[in-house]
Amino acid sequence: MAEKKILVVDDEIHIVHVVAIKLRNNGYEVISADNGAEAFEVACKAKPDVIVTDFQMPVLTGLELVEKLRQCELTKDIPVIMLTARNFAISQEQQKDLQIAQCLSKPFSPRELLGHIEDVLHDRAVN
Amino acid sequence: MKLGRNTYTMVIAIVAGSLLVAGLVQLQDSGVGVGWGSWYGVLCIIAYFVGAVGVIWLCWFWLKLARAITSMAQSLKAEKPAFISPKANPLINELSEAVNSRIESYSGFLEQLRGQVKDLQIQVQLSRRQKGNIEAIIYSLHDAVIVVDEFDRLLMANEAAGKLFNFDFANSQYKPIDSLVVPDKREFVNFLRQSRQSKVEATRREIEFLQDERSKVYDCVISCVNDNKQQVCGVVAVLHDITKEKEIQRMKNDFVSHVSHELKTPLASIMAYSEMLNDGEADDEETRKQMYSVIQNQAKRLSRLIDDILNISRIESGLIKIEKKPVSLTMLIEEQLQMIKNYAEEKDIEIITQTPIIHDVVYADKDMISQVIVNLLSNAVKYTPRGGSVRIDIVVDETAGVAQVTVTDTGVGIPKDEIEHVFDKFYRVSANNNQAKGTGLGLNLVKQIIEKVHNGRVFVISEPGVGSTFGFELPLAVSSEVKTVH
Repeated sequence: MAEKKILVVDDEIHIVHVVAIKLRNNGYEVISADNGAEAFEVACKAKPDVIVTDFQMPVLTGLELVEKLRQCELTKDIPVIMLTARNFAISQEQQKDLQIAQCLSKPFSPRELLGHIEDVLHDRAVN
Repeated sequence: MKLGRNTYTMVIAIVAGSLLVAGLVQLQDSGVGVGWGSWYGVLCIIAYFVGAVGVIWLCWFWLKLARAITSMAQSLKAEKPAFISPKANPLINELSEAVNSRIESYSGFLEQLRGQVKDLQIQVQLSRRQKGNIEAIIYSLHDAVIVVDEFDRLLMANEAAGKLFNFDFANSQYKPIDSLVVPDKREFVNFLRQSRQSKVEATRREIEFLQDERSKVYDCVISCVNDNKQQVCGVVAVLHDITKEKEIQRMKNDFVSHVSHELKTPLASIMAYSEMLNDGEADDEETRKQMYSVIQNQAKRLSRLIDDILNISRIESGLIKIEKKPVSLTMLIEEQLQMIKNYAEEKDIEIITQTPIIHDVVYADKDMISQVIVNLLSNAVKYTPRGGSVRIDIVVDETAGVAQVTVTDTGVGIPKDEIEHVFDKFYRVSANNNQAKGTGLGLNLVKQIIEKVHNGRVFVISEPGVGSTFGFELPLAVSSEVKTVH
């Protein structure tokens, strides 16, 4: 089975780094971006299986990134997991409308994040 | 009275008798032909005389009676009716007695009424004065106050209400309130009606109006005034401008939101890396070392952030301990340059300083000004690309009594529309976010220390792509303050 590709987007390099180590140790291919605009370009080219993105980022925020992804034919179905240090920044309606699979509050557990990624991939495979 | 009446009857009888006798004598005289010399003539003269005396007496009596009645009427007409003397006229004694008795019985009642009228007059005066006082209080209120009756007609409005709804009360009294309020403020009229219809004693709602092209929020409290039958006879509305409070609340929420975000970011790294180490996810010693280093750095970042937040909060609340002493700015800059030197060398940035100035002593808190200098220097190095330069200057204007410190870099600069916000709490120039990490508190702390603690001034000049100059001005220490320079 081919390695699943995960795009990790965060302007905090340490967060990208720690998530990348966790995912690579568990057999995933990891690509990264440090802002929403760059992430969109990478997503269009690499077509990742899951995107893990921060909420507050320069150039294009996490929410703006998801809106852009949903409008693009190439990326509209990619599941997104959002990390946010701002509680209640995303409403349940927004989460539903933008098909955000999961919202995790910072500080987060890489172990839990891995679990959520696996769940999302499993749901996708079943559907 | 009885005697008077008998006399009167007797006189009338005599007059009538005399006239009858005179008539009979005349009749006899005309039939028999008797002249003035006969006894008939004598009888006739006597009868005429008695009749004439009777008529005169009756006239006199009538006049006396009329006078007595007129006097009695005048006496009754007087403001305070006087008792009628019984001797005034024996003819009307009975009447006088009856009237006097009535006057007596009414005069007590009249006195009582007079007392009540006086009380009422005093109460009316007091009420008028109280009404005047209440109106004066209401008119002087900063809050808008509007009173309407049960038909929504304007009964009273103060100046603030007139200003808010743009009407002149003098020309608007008793007009329907909906004809006075412009359509974009109709929400208030609707709320007024709803409150009146619901008959609830007091209702409260926040209403937003556009006033002078600015959105303003009012806390509107509407109270119904009930009559004796518990029916709403009027409604009082008080509108308090809470725009400022709302803004402070919003800023407070933003601050808490920013602080939590800024605290959670390094905390997220610390917790994630700790978990990774605990789970044995680091394959080799090198990776483990890197992870420990990240945890350490993020912990330091967290500590710095907490210090900055606490310092700003203490300065704002005036709780910080300030130890002002005469300090030389040149000496402080020299000390801080040593701290920033390694960081500048790492980025291959040249630090340019000037020849030390001798008379640059300011009366300041040494640690705080050191913090200001290090914040400005580290920002300059942080946002200057590799190979650039940072220049620090001191200018002393002895005439104005100020020392000016400027830090000029050849960095990325700040867009024009963002310059005015760079000293705001948690503000980070969006275009430069990628250049370096920061909390957005450093420059705010600089501003607080210089302006709030030292009565100085901060400023910034910048051009995107060319560089920025951040600076501050402090008052020079006066000779009495300069004893020992630290």
